[in-house]
Amino acid sequence: MVVALTGKHTFPGGIHPPQKKALTRDSQIQPGPAAKQISVLLGQHIGAICQPLVKKGDAVEAGQRIGDCDAFVSAPVHSPVSGKVKEIGLRSHAVLGRAQAITIEADENSPEKQPSFQVPADFDLSKYSAEQICEASRAGGLVGMGGAGFPTRVKLEPNPQMPKDNLIINGCECEPYITCDYRIMLEWTSQIIAGLRLAKKASGCSQAFIAIEDNKPKAIEVVRAALESSGNPDQVKVIAVKTKYPQGGERQLIKAVLKKSVPSGSIPPMIGVVVLNVATAAALAEAVIVDVPLTHRVVTVTGEPVVRPGNYYVPIGTSVGDLIEFCGGVTQSAAKVVLGGPMMGIAIADLETPTTKTTNAVTILTKEQIGRAKFDRRETPCIRCGRCLEVCPENLNPTRIAHAVKHDLLDVAERYYMSACMECGCCSYVCPANIEITGFIKTGKIFVARQKKRMA
Amino acid sequence: MLKNITVSSAPHVSKPLSTRGVMLDVIIGLAPAMLAAGYYFRIHAIVLIATCVVSCAGTEWLCNLIRKKSNSLDDLSAVVTGIILAFSLPPALPVWAAIIGSVFCIAIGKMVFGGLGANIFNPAMVGRTFLTASFGMLMTTWMVPATIDAEVRTIAADNTVDARTQATPLAYSKQALKARTGAEAVNEQLGAAFTGEIGGCLGETSALALIAGVVYLLIRRTINFHIPLAVLLSAFAFGSVTYLIDSESSISPLTHLCSGGLLMCAFFIATDPVTAPLTRRGMWVFGIGVGAITMLIRIVGEYPEGVMYSVLLMNAVTPLIDRFYKRIPAGGKASG
Repeated sequence: MVVALTGKHTFPGGIHPPQKKALTRDSQIQPGPAAKQISVLLGQHIGAICQPLVKKGDAVEAGQRIGDCDAFVSAPVHSPVSGKVKEIGLRSHAVLGRAQAITIEADENSPEKQPSFQVPADFDLSKYSAEQICEASRAGGLVGMGGAGFPTRVKLEPNPQMPKDNLIINGCECEPYITCDYRIMLEWTSQIIAGLRLAKKASGCSQAFIAIEDNKPKAIEVVRAALESSGNPDQVKVIAVKTKYPQGGERQLIKAVLKKSVPSGSIPPMIGVVVLNVATAAALAEAVIVDVPLTHRVVTVTGEPVVRPGNYYVPIGTSVGDLIEFCGGVTQSAAKVVLGGPMMGIAIADLETPTTKTTNAVTILTKEQIGRAKFDRRETPCIRCGRCLEVCPENLNPTRIAHAVKHDLLDVAERYYMSACMECGCCSYVCPANIEITGFIKTGKIFVARQKKRMA
Repeated sequence: MLKNITVSSAPHVSKPLSTRGVMLDVIIGLAPAMLAAGYYFRIHAIVLIATCVVSCAGTEWLCNLIRKKSNSLDDLSAVVTGIILAFSLPPALPVWAAIIGSVFCIAIGKMVFGGLGANIFNPAMVGRTFLTASFGMLMTTWMVPATIDAEVRTIAADNTVDARTQATPLAYSKQALKARTGAEAVNEQLGAAFTGEIGGCLGETSALALIAGVVYLLIRRTINFHIPLAVLLSAFAFGSVTYLIDSESSISPLTHLCSGGLLMCAFFIATDPVTAPLTRRGMWVFGIGVGAITMLIRIVGEYPEGVMYSVLLMNAVTPLIDRFYKRIPAGGKASG
């Protein structure tokens, strides 16, 4: 199998922000801070929020299910440590503002989970049925670990109305700074491939791809070599895609790999495509093969002000503050703490905010970096230069939508297809007038959602 | 360790680009034509450009003061308007007329609409139209470039006005069209029209300098090629048809492109983003419209030159074009 290391596959639009991946690219996945106090949020995914299964004062074991919900679109949460439930109460949540969380105080001798899972040599795909794999992905609390946190089981479960035929493992990692997926591809290659095979079997897909941006030639080579040495029984194709933000967005990736468009308002399974992040694939292998739930994940702690940036294997629920402290703290220049990358990540105000299953990075930005974007330059009027239209990967008219929202014309915003916006931030990034286009569109969507709620 | 952290909506980084930078690029793009104007029209060029820039900027400052708005001069858009207005004026225009034009173009063309980004019509063209309507004689008195010996006249204008003036090739072609002969003399001027050694407005005479400027803007991606190409293609097509029908009295399409304000319009006026459509298809329609109307005025109308009216007319329909050519999302129209 010959794989080009430079990708021609891509999508229209997009931008090329400075990548800044060199900060942590060569940092191996290391154990994170020893957990003393963990706050496991009950809503870490898209879908119904879990109900706590434990009470204050209960003793919990590492890996024990502590929150769950009967809804189909949901995923249980598990305790990453052994200890005692200290409190069940509200905690800062990057997306929801504040949400219920179970705070656990770890025992002195709580086992520390190491990033040591290896696919056993006798791994045999035929041992697992499709139902078993789906069940295990649900029981393990798996959700998309690339950002949105869509429950993996819902993606995988075969649906007679929507037969699936293409599986794409997403190793693009197009956000600047973040390198956790890159390290996972280099270090956990066999887990990813096992996860891919399990997902392919569970979903009934006939074809599988691993898509990697061409700024990670080493990852492309390592994955290709691993596939070749395993004989590649599933005919997995490694696709090098162009390095361009937001190449790792599901809709953009499907466009690049399969030349298909996901209809507006639809999700990939509706056109028979399943997209899984590489971290999710690795977690799937662990959940199915050794029945270990998703309680830890790799988090890139990065940014110029961080003293010891790197990729750490962190118990989910560790507070951002603990994580930063573990990395040696930050220098004076730090001005913004972002969960995720600088393009789509969410700036947090509370360092007690717990990490979640979808926290792929903690990015610390300096005053200079954000100053250029937000403070030094005031917003000037839109000169209709059209840059936002050029870069919009969804082919929208961002300035029109943003200004409609600004002037409280939500119907106009919707006529210009506001709901099709995926909030990638390209328009705000290029805007010479420094208008927070993405911010306006997000606000507009929230207003529309509220309006609909009121009418219902 | 972490104090006073900032919270705001994503994205948290942005491209180091500003409106001021965009305008600065346009000024750099206009620089070759400025140099050419200085070379051919000497002191007249310097005086005219300086007058227009200063009075445009002054008017904007005054308007902001009256409207109690913060000063917006630092975005440099008034400077760009001033230069473009100066470029579209005859070199010998008296300073007082240039000041009147500048005040009108900023106050009425731009600030009454709400300033930068809100104006419907290209401010420089608004100013020029006002001057043409008010001081018709001054606006059609053309100077001979300083590099040409005043006694040697390549185009024989009905030389009654002044020894140092001449008709523009387009004005002459109008006469040829009426007399139904003699377009060749104009076509022979193609070379001069390309370098700029010819009568005409300050900035429009040298095709070479304008092309050099636009190449810079295209490389910097400050403008994209759709509108200029659409304007030139449609003007060329229109010119070719009339030339093929009647090559005795019509000037060649190439001469059309290099004469008058067509290049200047295609590169720097029609591409003004504020008053042009946003979508690609809209840009094509807009450009084709500008080129066709210009040629229609030049060939059929009474005026020898039609750029400003065609731009203003197409500016007026820009909102309609934008509404007509709405972008369809990548995932189709289906709402979810």
